[in-house]
Amino acid sequence: MSVDFDVCVIGSGAGGGPVALTLAQAGYSVVVLEKGPWFGEPDFYKDEIACCRRSTYTPDLRGERHVIEEMDGDGSWEAESTAVSGWDWWNGNCVGGSSNFMSGFFHRLKPDDFRLLSRFGSIAGANLADWPIGYTDLEPYYEKVERVVGVSGRVVAHPNLEPRSTPDFPFPPTQEHVVTGMLDSACKELGLHSLPVARAILPGPALGRRGCEYSGYCGSYGCSSGAKGSSRAALLNAAVATGRCEVRPHARVSRLTSDAAGRVNGAEYYDRDGKLQRLDARLYAVACQAIETARLLLFSTGPRHPQGLANRHGQVGRNLVFSAGGSGTGDFPYRTIAPALVAGFKLRGPFVNRALQDWYTIEDSEFGGEAVKGGTIEFLFRHPNPIARANPRKWGEDGLVWGVPLKRRLESTFRDARYLRFEVFCDWLPVDDCFVSLDPQVKDQWGIPVARVRIGHHPHDLKIGRYLAGKGEAVLRQMGAENVRSSVSGSPPPNLVAGGCRFGNDPQTSVLDADCRAHDVENIYVTDGSFMPTGGSVPYTWTIYANAFRVADRMVERLGGAGLPGGSAPAQATVSGDS
Amino acid sequence: MADRRTALGKESGPLLEAWHRALISRRTFLARLAGVSVAALFPLTGTVATVPGQVTTLTARQRAVLAAVQEHLFPADAVSPGAGDIHALAYLVNVLDDPRKDPDEKAFLVNGTGWLEELVAERLGKSFTELNAEQREAMLRAIEQSRAGENWLATLLLFIFEALLSDPVYGGNPDGIGWRWLEHQPGFPRPPVDRIYGKL
Repeated sequence: MSVDFDVCVIGSGAGGGPVALTLAQAGYSVVVLEKGPWFGEPDFYKDEIACCRRSTYTPDLRGERHVIEEMDGDGSWEAESTAVSGWDWWNGNCVGGSSNFMSGFFHRLKPDDFRLLSRFGSIAGANLADWPIGYTDLEPYYEKVERVVGVSGRVVAHPNLEPRSTPDFPFPPTQEHVVTGMLDSACKELGLHSLPVARAILPGPALGRRGCEYSGYCGSYGCSSGAKGSSRAALLNAAVATGRCEVRPHARVSRLTSDAAGRVNGAEYYDRDGKLQRLDARLYAVACQAIETARLLLFSTGPRHPQGLANRHGQVGRNLVFSAGGSGTGDFPYRTIAPALVAGFKLRGPFVNRALQDWYTIEDSEFGGEAVKGGTIEFLFRHPNPIARANPRKWGEDGLVWGVPLKRRLESTFRDARYLRFEVFCDWLPVDDCFVSLDPQVKDQWGIPVARVRIGHHPHDLKIGRYLAGKGEAVLRQMGAENVRSSVSGSPPPNLVAGGCRFGNDPQTSVLDADCRAHDVENIYVTDGSFMPTGGSVPYTWTIYANAFRVADRMVERLGGAGLPGGSAPAQATVSGDS
Repeated sequence: MADRRTALGKESGPLLEAWHRALISRRTFLARLAGVSVAALFPLTGTVATVPGQVTTLTARQRAVLAAVQEHLFPADAVSPGAGDIHALAYLVNVLDDPRKDPDEKAFLVNGTGWLEELVAERLGKSFTELNAEQREAMLRAIEQSRAGENWLATLLLFIFEALLSDPVYGGNPDGIGWRWLEHQPGFPRPPVDRIYGKL
């Protein structure tokens, strides 16, 4: 069998990087196909225009869009293209993917998150399922991520602490802000356990990367120092250094082809010049983030896969989940801050790094006394981006505000106070009305149907969200915040998405097996967040990294184990398009 | 949906938040407000005058009207910089020169000056630039009554905020005058001139 590479990884984010590194270190040749460009630390600046006001790291919506189906007022589903709505669903199309732009709040799942159905019981209208693996299967990989990606933090005992194989994090916490002490005091007064939040950020030089420089502009920005544990900085650079991994930017995979036996026998992609190229590999790992992964599989029909790859039972794209729940804010006018603390309170750079998990499981008469799954409350400052902060101030009660009144508003917003926020993360229950399909009409600039995403949610999510938001508000009030408010909605954050190719033991109801290999395609694995049947009540990234390392080990075994390359061509020997 | 994005903390938004809704309202607007003089005079039926890669050329009149509107929306006072101080017009011209920006969006920004001038001519027989502050306020509040006019003003305000608070390397915010006024601490490293949007 002649193949170009042992392994072809499609997508270079948190689901692709661990596979590339693990397989390359084990001696196998790897190609990573990434649709976007390859930026590095020297390309990243604290530039709000480039990062956040223009499409620098994401496609132009005129050429590549999504179609979003939302329920309108009278209960029917209304579809709107994101090129019309302006609601951008891309999260980072460049080497390292959206992990370049994450805030890096890192939480493990807890043992109950692997068995939501059996632990808490079914909920009408929710497609709950236990995972085919347990926490103990993933724990060694959570620990590996701490060391290899670089996770900083501090373990404290608390009622919901997940079991750990090591006593503490390999890197000490990043610097904390003055407000963190105020938050800790308020939580103590309320009898709550305010927890140090682990971050995928190096507090000092390590792992061949620089430490955090505390500019205060982290989430949404590419990291200028390399401290942030993106797939690019932490994994792909090391993978390339083995000499066995080639990263091809500007390689937009359009289709995976399959043979008469149903095996994938090639990846077709458009290169930077728009030319269609092709390569093949022994194993394929798909990691394009949940929505685009489903889209690629659905579009990749073949003689044995008339409904798309791995879609024999119509499960691809179903049970999409998001990490969401709601958010709240409290104002801290400087006039209310103790004079000795004001200078430190104004300081931008150090992190808040606190979360509450006292209600990860809720036992409250409000929910009938039965234990229900709750979630996490994460505290953070309002994002410092000044244009994003100024722009909403132009809207008054009756239309636009301009002139002198607008200027006084800006002064008040920027100069008089800081704003502490919290975000609630509860389980987004998988439901029939949250799924990805191919749009029947809208195509992208290559003529490929775009992903159409229906974004229904379960009303239970809002109940839990409101409960937790109330707890978050109480903490802000205890701290002395003014104007405390929160909002809970079923509208999903497109940057925190998983599911769509859930793993499980039953091929009728799942796309992937316990190793995240497709049930009905023997040489394809899905290694991004798509595998998750339920998402837990935390941001997903740590779990995506950990699971991708786990699956990568299975792929190494499949190819014959570490140090036993299967005799294929080395990475540099064959160039796609030659065949 | 702008509110939703803000609530969720996602920072990346549409290039012109109001524009896409303007496209929708363009269709519904005339039907709903047919017969209202503002609607008739601010119809948003202008054809696209630009193509990708082509610099949008502003006439002297268009420049003068844009500058006057910007200064009215964001006037200088004793304690804070105005549109002229932050180079808001030069910044807007840079936006219009961006070859990657949607030609429809650019045309909307430029054509708005013409629609405003038509309204002012019909109501007062003058150019917007000849009006006193009170008249300017009345005219801008009049066009704000239409969805499209509100979108045009909201978009101009967005680019005023960009001129005020983006890195000076983009042509606004000279010497960080906007940052100083609002006591804003920019992040670092700051972008060098050859590594900004459009050059990455």
